[in-house]
Amino acid sequence: MRVGLVCPYDFEVPGGVQYHVRDLAEHLIGQGHHVEVIAPGDEDAGGPDYLTLCGRAVPVRYNGSVARLAFGPVTSSRVTRWLEQGDFDVVHIHEPLSPSVSVLALLAAEAPVVATFHASSLRLRAMQAAYPLVRPLLEKIIGRIAVSEAARRTVTTHLGGDAVIIPNGVEVDDFAHATPRPEWQGTEEAPTVAFLGRIDEPRKGLPVLSTAMEEVLRQRPGTRLLIAGPGDVEAARDRMSPEVAAASTFLGMVSDEEKAAMLASVDAYIAPHIGGESFGIVLVEAMAAGAPVIASDLPAFTAVLDGEANGRLFTTGDAQACARTILDVLGDPAQRARLRAAGQARARHYDWSVVAAQITAVYETVIMTADVAATVEEPGLWSRVVRPRKRTGEAGA
Amino acid sequence: MVAGRPAPQAHRRGRRIAVETLTWITLAVIALVLVAWYLTYSAARLDRLHAKVEGALAALDAQLVRRAEAALELGASGFLDPATSLLLVDVASTCLDRTAERDEDGHLRLVGLAERESAESDLTDALNAALTDQTLAELRMRGGAMAEELIDRIAAAGLRVQIARRFHNQAVTEVQRVRRKRVVRAFRLAGYAPLPETVEFNDELTFTG
Repeated sequence: MRVGLVCPYDFEVPGGVQYHVRDLAEHLIGQGHHVEVIAPGDEDAGGPDYLTLCGRAVPVRYNGSVARLAFGPVTSSRVTRWLEQGDFDVVHIHEPLSPSVSVLALLAAEAPVVATFHASSLRLRAMQAAYPLVRPLLEKIIGRIAVSEAARRTVTTHLGGDAVIIPNGVEVDDFAHATPRPEWQGTEEAPTVAFLGRIDEPRKGLPVLSTAMEEVLRQRPGTRLLIAGPGDVEAARDRMSPEVAAASTFLGMVSDEEKAAMLASVDAYIAPHIGGESFGIVLVEAMAAGAPVIASDLPAFTAVLDGEANGRLFTTGDAQACARTILDVLGDPAQRARLRAAGQARARHYDWSVVAAQITAVYETVIMTADVAATVEEPGLWSRVVRPRKRTGEAGA
Repeated sequence: MVAGRPAPQAHRRGRRIAVETLTWITLAVIALVLVAWYLTYSAARLDRLHAKVEGALAALDAQLVRRAEAALELGASGFLDPATSLLLVDVASTCLDRTAERDEDGHLRLVGLAERESAESDLTDALNAALTDQTLAELRMRGGAMAEELIDRIAAAGLRVQIARRFHNQAVTEVQRVRRKRVVRAFRLAGYAPLPETVEFNDELTFTG
């Protein structure tokens, strides 16, 4: 199959959608498909062979965080050229309504279109203003995918219709086979817990965890907090109490290997996010690496953990509840062992081998639909107005 | 001194009326062209949506047929106990009797939608009842590679049925929305194409290949 993937966000900048597109591309290429990706970015930025960059990305505040998007006539003509030269059997557009490469690709695509909705929130007011413009565009999409029940609900309430749920994929084995590092491993007296994500973005929940850590340190003074993620470390330290700052190790931005090793080492991974998450891929990665997961009870996280069967949940934003849950898990080795085993089994559902097979099934369905649709004869002006004679004898049921 | 020449005001007034008429005619023509463009555009949009529904229906029908065929083969394979085999053969062949057909205009239609829906739900129920974890384990032991292949085919077709049905219903709701528009109804832009319906049945297979 010839597949064209469209990513609306700058490939250079880390982000869930970008990782998903990259991994999907590489997985499909591994299966022998021809895959190309288009994304915003400077042409001289380089990148893998399959990647086409379509122009400088501009930072724009969009959907609660800063996204690097590309638009304008130059981008538009590059997208069109990419579509023409690619001669794709199917074009798979991510976040089709983001004001970036995606909506341009949707407008220009002639091949059958699959669209994946990642976000669990669309800005309703803007969407309603744009409805008359957007409707005919949306009708070009033959197959809609939502990455979670939360994302699907957003689609059904704001856009109408339905979408197939296919979760984000994880290379489970990369995490399952990660080697723990002694410096990140905890002991009975000094357990380690991990946080992953931008440290200066409040919705990732570091403030909640910092407050919770004050209580945790009162009960278990040896506990260490490992914080991995980009952002201003000094400012983050200043926002913490001195005790918590002293117990925290900032690792900065970590590589994929370091992330896997960290998750394989710690006694618990904490996901204190307070909103805006539609999936929770990190939770799957943590489960795959064997880290017991403690997460806020956002719908997306509850879904990934399948209730409390494979992890622990606390009331979103409640630092005291977070602290209680952490202390409970740290004080109970048997519970940790159970969570590790359950999490590793759960993570298999999200392995790329499973997810890519589902996405390929969507491609096949969409290509079949488009093939048949192309053979359907359109009624002429005359037959629209005058009922064809051969049907006049038919009795109306 | 002024006699013999028409009053300049009257002359101007006459020209003004001519210009006004011309403006009105131009505006009317522009409006007509716009209306005509909008009607053609809407008709083309509706045609595309109808074609999409038909394509999606063909995809759904094809996957349903594959699912029923694989279930029928499994029923006839002799790997299962006689009661389960009979049940599977019965419901699967009912499904295969009710596939989509082309009408006089050459368009694909589901004849007897309600019966088809209940037959497909029955097949899903039968597969879920028959293929428990225990049966699957026995099946793999007794049937080896052949049974494995049949199970895979049922699982693959089952997944594609779910996907195709959602995409079909998605396309149907889009057609229904456009056809509810006043312009479309007033100008009969849909012609005599029947209003498509969503296909509703239980397609949730509980076993995973």
